[in-house]
Amino acid sequence: MKISIQINASPYQHQAADTAWHFIQAAMASGHEVYRVFFYHDGIYNACRDSRPPGDERDIVKRWGELHSNNGVDLVVCVSSAQRRGLLEQSVAKKVGGYERALANGFRIAGLGLLMEAIIDSDRHITFGA
Amino acid sequence: MKTLFFIIDKAMHGNVCAQEFFDIALMAAAFDQKVVLLFEADGVNALVKNQQPEALQLKNITPILNALEIYDIKEVLVEKESMEARGLAERQLAIAVKVKSRREIQRQINSADHIFSF
Repeated sequence: MKISIQINASPYQHQAADTAWHFIQAAMASGHEVYRVFFYHDGIYNACRDSRPPGDERDIVKRWGELHSNNGVDLVVCVSSAQRRGLLEQSVAKKVGGYERALANGFRIAGLGLLMEAIIDSDRHITFGA
Repeated sequence: MKTLFFIIDKAMHGNVCAQEFFDIALMAAAFDQKVVLLFEADGVNALVKNQQPEALQLKNITPILNALEIYDIKEVLVEKESMEARGLAERQLAIAVKVKSRREIQRQINSADHIFSF
């Protein structure tokens, strides 16, 4: 089955990012294809490069990055949610004089069109944090 | 074409979530999907006329409601039981809606391809 994921809540304060990650691991282990993870609302904070949790805690941001590099899952951060909350893409940051390294490795910033494409192309679209 | 069912069950002003939620619904309509909006629980309050969120420096969502038809979103449902529980009548609402019972709505939810809430 082709599955797309949407994450609406920030990491650490909410369980959504953890539940989604475990769900994705289980789905892939069962032979399903996880097509894309779309970060929306406060979910965009999952893509903060400078998140530095204590060494004995799970590193949620890094874990997403590994999902991209090891499994090729597309990690998309909504541009309007991100800009509103201060997470800018490098080219935009350059233009407005903002912080240019906000986005962690493995993520890309794009519009809602990519969410809609994922919804239309997937057998299941599952939202976490709503 | 898929049927995407959007449930608004919380107050719409006070944070940005509803505004961002509507962006998804409008995008779905722009992608020629069938969009159904359902207002239930405290979400029904959003439909009441004469909202003044400007007093809190918040964006008024009523213009988005008025624009739904332009986006070809014609299925705007309101749960009858939620209206009754809050003492609301249809004439108090800012836009034309279909008031349906929980049971009727349930059937429609069951036939949707995807369901969204925020």
